[in-house]
Amino acid sequence: MDQNNSLPPYAQGLASPQGAMTPGIPIFSPMMPYGTGLTPQPIQNTNSLSILEEQQRQQQQQQQQQQQQSVATAAASVQQSTSQQSTQGASGQTPQLFHSQTLTTAPLPGTTPLYPSPMTPMTPITPATPASESSGIVPQLQNIVSTVNLGCKLDLKTIALRARNAEYNPKRFAAVIMRIREPRTTALIFSSGKMVCTGAKSEEQSRLAARKYARVVQKLGFPAKFLDFKIQNMVGSCDVKFPIRLEGLVLTHQQFSSYEPELFPGLIYRMIKPRIVLLIFVSGKVVLTGAKVRAEIYEAFENIYPILKGFRKTT
Amino acid sequence: MPSGSRCPDCGSSELVEDSHYSQSQLVCSDCGCVVTEGVLTTTFNDEGNLREVTYSRSTGENEQVSRSQQRDLRRVRDLCRILKLPPTFEDTAISYYQRAYQLPGIRDARLQKKEVLVGCCVLITCRQHNWPLTMGTICTLLYADLDVFSGTYMQLVKLLGLDVPALCLEELVKSYCSSFRLFQASSPIPAKYVEDKDKMLSRTLLLVELANETWLVTGRHPLPVITAATFLAWQSLRPSARLTCSLAQFCKLANVDLPYPAASRLQELLAVLLQMASQLAWLRVLKLDKRTVVKHIGDLLQHRHMLVRMAFRDGTAEAETQEQEQGEQGQQEEAEDRTFNLSKRKRPSSPAPLLPPCMLKPSKRTHPTPSISTVTGDEDISDSEIEQYLRTPQEVRDFQRAQAASQAAMSVPNPP
Repeated sequence: MDQNNSLPPYAQGLASPQGAMTPGIPIFSPMMPYGTGLTPQPIQNTNSLSILEEQQRQQQQQQQQQQQQSVATAAASVQQSTSQQSTQGASGQTPQLFHSQTLTTAPLPGTTPLYPSPMTPMTPITPATPASESSGIVPQLQNIVSTVNLGCKLDLKTIALRARNAEYNPKRFAAVIMRIREPRTTALIFSSGKMVCTGAKSEEQSRLAARKYARVVQKLGFPAKFLDFKIQNMVGSCDVKFPIRLEGLVLTHQQFSSYEPELFPGLIYRMIKPRIVLLIFVSGKVVLTGAKVRAEIYEAFENIYPILKGFRKTT
Repeated sequence: MPSGSRCPDCGSSELVEDSHYSQSQLVCSDCGCVVTEGVLTTTFNDEGNLREVTYSRSTGENEQVSRSQQRDLRRVRDLCRILKLPPTFEDTAISYYQRAYQLPGIRDARLQKKEVLVGCCVLITCRQHNWPLTMGTICTLLYADLDVFSGTYMQLVKLLGLDVPALCLEELVKSYCSSFRLFQASSPIPAKYVEDKDKMLSRTLLLVELANETWLVTGRHPLPVITAATFLAWQSLRPSARLTCSLAQFCKLANVDLPYPAASRLQELLAVLLQMASQLAWLRVLKLDKRTVVKHIGDLLQHRHMLVRMAFRDGTAEAETQEQEQGEQGQQEEAEDRTFNLSKRKRPSSPAPLLPPCMLKPSKRTHPTPSISTVTGDEDISDSEIEQYLRTPQEVRDFQRAQAASQAAMSVPNPP
């Protein structure tokens, strides 16, 4: 996969957020490590993978390529890229990610060569979203809800009697509530054999916790299996660190937002694509929920961030 | 019952007394011809005064509409009349209710929800005409819980796909202020507390606008802010006589309920006014505090735009410029400082950030940075870990014994 592994060219096409292009500052250095910028790289798996994971993959590949190439062609690269190294300026941190060798590769069709130097003209590229610089903020996952089918009927009274970490109050709720310490989660176990596991902070933790609950039920004497594990809901949160004029946001995005200060202090934004509900507060904190996969949360936040930035300075 | 008369159409003598709704009729059972009819009206009053009975009070309308829906439609009309809404609102609210009733989610709902739905329809109608009706008022009138109301309201807006505009703050201020009983001298209100309605209204509007600009209204219930603003406006119009009156006393005199958050909104508004006052040279020397600043609210409001701009730096602008100038951090801040330098030299107080109060207060608990876990989900689960969650047989026996004992103890108090 011979990709143009340097900074996504769209970022150069922008009026750079760094202000005037000052010499000595590598224009691409802050962008890649933060990772959530949208890459206009040809299509491939941007739908299935999260942007973050894809960029991590790219970085790993770059590093591998660098290691392979640097040994063989160190001398050649020095000769070839002296002209471009001179424009590179002080780029102390870049060699880890981008090797000068890669700069000499032929640009892919539709992408510009890297530097806005007089030698290489910049072809304008429409960025994937308008005014899209990466937000640099990654939402943290706070809660994962998953379900699994244990595949056998259960006697809840027996479970409540013989397990230490179980509570069962049939008058209040028709399920056993069981908790384990690591990963710190809670499970609702129903007599039909279906189980709901909540409280995990990542998909793998949720799966591990569900397996532990199944093991507990197994040890209690039931022929429990582990069928149809599915993540039903993921909740993430993050902070954009500036106040937001919710009244303005509800005026411009009326069809998606619902803001009733008499009922709830936050604005409820129902995004259509991806189908995520966001709770936006005046302090700039955003809660994203309703996702089935992690990528939906990241995508939703990348979609909302430019909208929120539009409401940053309204005084 | 055969009364000896014959049907004029077919001549049969099988005449039956069969009432059509409330009208008694003599009908031929062979051909269905109506021989004689009784009177339609049911009361002597109506008959005597020769008044016709309106369609909505007759039985004709009730054929297709179920009883609960009829009752609720009547309730919608009654609510509109109690609130003294213009007559067009009634029809709109009724139409919303009828539309809502078609939805399966609403039609099968409990009666409690349908009662609350009446209030929701009226509220939506008022909002669309910018009539300032708060949810609290509706809930009080319906004797309903705000939680139930909010759930039904959100569901209704979503299902009908309605575009409900926000509560009009200006109209709310006008109607709420007018409800304060301070515009005429009456027995509990001393003369020095009576105030002119227009002056108070205009000043309250300015204070609410100021609160809106300085992030005190976003995300909060609007009413307590307006209460605090009204109180400050009233105090500032005659501070010498009114400074001794507290917010609670004021609301009691004015015969208005004091909402709980109003006290903290008052403090926030006073803090903003103090910040603004620190930018006026002749006020800075007076060293104002939260009580004495009330005397100068008139001046502060007159120059509010300029004072807000001077008193508060835009906290977000600072952050953005810092982001941009990573390589040359000093320069941009210096430029910013230069514009403030002039003010800084003359005015000792540095501009405070213009942020909502929730962002100004330090967070109570430190948010722990999430540790990166390397869980794969497919690890082995050790038996010992699972064993810790299971009771030993001895524990099980003890637990069963304890359960039996508690059962016995519970059944003892009931004498045979």
